[in-house]
Amino acid sequence: METFRAFISMVKDSIGYITHGSKVYHVWMFFLSLIILIGMYFYAIQLEEGLSATGMTDRVSWGLYISNFTFLVGVAAAAVMLVMPTYVLKDIDFKQAVLIGEGLAVAALIMCLAFVVADMGGPSVLWHMIPGIGVFNFPSSMLTWDIIVLNGYLFINITIPLYILFRHYQGKEAKAKVYVPGSILSVLWAVGIHLVTAFLYEGLQARPFWNNALLGPRFLASAFAAGPALIILVLAAIRKFSEFKIEDKTIKKIALIVTVAAQINLIMLVSELFKEFYAPTHHSESAYYLFFGLDGKTALLPWIWTAIPLNVLATILLTFHKLRNNLNILYICCFMLFIAIWIEKGFGLIVPGFIPGPYGKIAEYTPTWVEIWVTLGIWALGAFIFTMLAKTSIGIELGKLRYKKKRAVQTETT
Amino acid sequence: MKVARLTYVLVLLCCVFSCKHKEGEYHSLNEKIETESKKYHGTDISSETYIGDIQTIEIKEGTHTFLIPERKSQIKSYACIECHSKPLNAMQNGSEIQKAHWDIKLNHANENTMNCASCHDGNDMNNLNSLTGNAIDFNKSFQLCAQCHSSQFEDWKGGAHGKNIGGWSQPRAAMTCVNCHNPHEPQIASKWPVQFNTQKVKERE
Amino acid sequence: MGDKKKWFSLDFGVSKGEAVSTNSSCGCGSTSGGCGSHNAPPKKEPVASSCGCGSTSDGCGSHTMPKNEYLITAEEFDAAVEGTMVGETRKDGFQQVFDVKMDRRTAFRKLTASLLIGAGAVQTSCSAIAGEETKEKAQIDWEEQFKGNYKLMTQEEKQATVDRLVRSYQLRKKENIKMSATDASKDVLFGYAFNISKCQGYMNCISACVEENNQDRNSQMQYIRIHEMKDGQGFKFNEADDNYYHEVPAAGHFYMGTQCFHCDDPPCVDVCPVEATWREEDGLVVIDYDWCIGCRYCMAACPYDGRRFNWSKPEVPEAEVNKNQHYLGNRMRKKGVMEKCTFCIQRSRSGNDPACVEACPTGARIFGNLLDPDSTIRWVLENKQVFRLKEDLGTEPKFWYFMD
Repeated sequence: METFRAFISMVKDSIGYITHGSKVYHVWMFFLSLIILIGMYFYAIQLEEGLSATGMTDRVSWGLYISNFTFLVGVAAAAVMLVMPTYVLKDIDFKQAVLIGEGLAVAALIMCLAFVVADMGGPSVLWHMIPGIGVFNFPSSMLTWDIIVLNGYLFINITIPLYILFRHYQGKEAKAKVYVPGSILSVLWAVGIHLVTAFLYEGLQARPFWNNALLGPRFLASAFAAGPALIILVLAAIRKFSEFKIEDKTIKKIALIVTVAAQINLIMLVSELFKEFYAPTHHSESAYYLFFGLDGKTALLPWIWTAIPLNVLATILLTFHKLRNNLNILYICCFMLFIAIWIEKGFGLIVPGFIPGPYGKIAEYTPTWVEIWVTLGIWALGAFIFTMLAKTSIGIELGKLRYKKKRAVQTETT
Repeated sequence: MKVARLTYVLVLLCCVFSCKHKEGEYHSLNEKIETESKKYHGTDISSETYIGDIQTIEIKEGTHTFLIPERKSQIKSYACIECHSKPLNAMQNGSEIQKAHWDIKLNHANENTMNCASCHDGNDMNNLNSLTGNAIDFNKSFQLCAQCHSSQFEDWKGGAHGKNIGGWSQPRAAMTCVNCHNPHEPQIASKWPVQFNTQKVKERE
Repeated sequence: MGDKKKWFSLDFGVSKGEAVSTNSSCGCGSTSGGCGSHNAPPKKEPVASSCGCGSTSDGCGSHTMPKNEYLITAEEFDAAVEGTMVGETRKDGFQQVFDVKMDRRTAFRKLTASLLIGAGAVQTSCSAIAGEETKEKAQIDWEEQFKGNYKLMTQEEKQATVDRLVRSYQLRKKENIKMSATDASKDVLFGYAFNISKCQGYMNCISACVEENNQDRNSQMQYIRIHEMKDGQGFKFNEADDNYYHEVPAAGHFYMGTQCFHCDDPPCVDVCPVEATWREEDGLVVIDYDWCIGCRYCMAACPYDGRRFNWSKPEVPEAEVNKNQHYLGNRMRKKGVMEKCTFCIQRSRSGNDPACVEACPTGARIFGNLLDPDSTIRWVLENKQVFRLKEDLGTEPKFWYFMD
């Protein structure tokens, strides 16, 4: 009963805490809400008109939504890079960062689910997918696997930080016996969500661009570069805007992870390029389209040729210890890497998979404003959720939010 | 240890249940067709109603038995002898020469190979005439075509050439040669496609 | 409906007696109500929150509730009016294809529409003065929204949903359609052969297909594509034109049609997360349009460009609607669902040829029963040089090409 009361109190306190803050905080949250509302408005248009309001066609049937979904699964999976050393190897450095990382994972997962829903033709019948009430084509459909792993991962990433925060809120230490097994599970699970998402594409014999054994490992490598890169940027922002102390050492350790992952990613990119262009078959046409254009259709060239130099440059810069240890350069590199991988694992992966079509026909894809605004709205939603989660956990970790038993007793007596 | 064993069992179960091929499935479609058609007992689906008002006659050619449209009732001026009351040369040389069949232009092979007499018998206009001079009924004009176009004839009997009438089911009915090809001018003229998709053009711009 | 329910079902338009007494009754799915449950005598005593039990398996014509049984007080009248209004909102929320009053929808209503469905539907059914037809429509919409997957339905359930759809069309368009739910016959496996030396590219097949299958006219959706290929170049689909407009056959070209090949091991079926598409016993790969969630995974998985998506609300002029329909075939679709060639299931299951076969003036298209050793398709497979597209993918299409 006491626990329950404490929990209620924590929820109340955190609601109070997240609705109060500095001017910058309020402006930021207002800005995000505005974007979310605009996104909702455009989503309403999309619901009304159908998916014809987007740039997708029978030729390119997945676009910006699924691109972002794919990328964000990677970001979510990257939280594991922080969980592993902290919980399991008891690395103190990461402990402050890990709650942020898991908050990021939760926000990313919610964005993933939002993107999938936004991409659905019939959101009103989504209950057909719920096991038990609907029909769940498990294990045949990789999409059902993805639903399981994503929701499972979301659950793990909500419960572990919640448990730790709740203990801290009550002024107690979190019991390792409780959260360590969960953490180990989440480590395995994180690899799982990304592999399964890769298998979603890899398993389609119809699309040679995706049907490629390197896709899964490349997903992992790029995720472990882009995810922690984003975490570094977020930590930098938190350092700036709150009293939460994050040591340079922590950021530098994460930077090392980013570097190694980015290097591996680059090696795999080279291997992929070699295969596609040294002995090109007609299965290489998608890659040709992506990198050089096909039949005068060149819509993706500006994207990919932004991504590749950014990717290479950032990886090279990060490789040098001196440059990496300069925090300003590190932040710039992380930003470049994040953008590069967002393009590469989003647009650069999904769209060329459909081009050329099964019979060689090329119809290019350009997202419409409806799509772009819905996408921005979902990103804003993610940022909104993350800000709330981060603020609460920082508040608890800093000891600003503490369970006051007295108050509970007082209310009882009155 | 227990946890490890449990995960092992779980993984194993997953592998077993995610196996794509179910029991009772065949290795290939051909195998399936072969095996399952061995116990074929026929269906009670009939395509008889879809043949509609077309009058048909049953023909038997080799192992194939099927229906083709009856022809004679479709020829406007059959029977021919109503006009061709005398043998052709008698009519052509007689005093009362009448011009007829001006709409018929013969464009079938070249003049060395074919002329009117390759198919028609001036002495028996009611029937067609085989290369060896035997009479062929107008209803079975395919026998005439088959003399030269033997491979097409084979395909037609089997169903690979020509157009099916009615449904896919039994009884089988098919158009005969002259339902599509004008025997005097058997080539089919080129024409415009019946439609054009403007949306597709937009999509691919 | 049997005792074992495979999915959630809810019925709200039950006995009128309850309806008058309150507008906050809750419907609960029952297992055994036939048509008779709708004719139940009205209860005398008003109940604060009654539970309406009905069934989903009844046919459509069962709502024969006499109107004059109700005595309406002012209070009840208000409640009823409110119910009607909410009911209309709810109707707006539905994305059923036959919803004619589309333009009244407002953008934000739609956002919350699914939330309103439940409340609205219950209230509509309970409002005494709502028109009987409106109520019936709402009842049908509700049952259609929460019906199960066709593949798993019993014969009665299949018939019930077909009846509902026919009735719904009647209510909305004042026209009668004929819809069947014929199952696959034993000893039938459909196959198709295409003669590439015969096809002349007239495209009669495409026109016939569009008309037969009620495809969206606005987006000019077509199941069939005819590719015009150069002689002597092999199959260069990327260089082939599939949207030509000149006199055909063009010199030095041949023509090749593609459509859904009804693979025997269809990748699209494997990937569907909700089993909204499957292979029937007679080999046809079909879609339950009402069960499809529109994720387009099947579209990505199809190596043959066989699937089409309704990007916007499909529209067919009323005069051109083919009223001879099959649940899995050419019935009216809604926006946001997949569709594709079904070998004209509404025709082929009753022994007729698909529309493309019938329309083809050249006889290049051959259709038949692969299990019948005497069928023409079998003769073609056994006597001609046949091949299939992308055989290396292991999808086992039941669509062969051959030459003279």
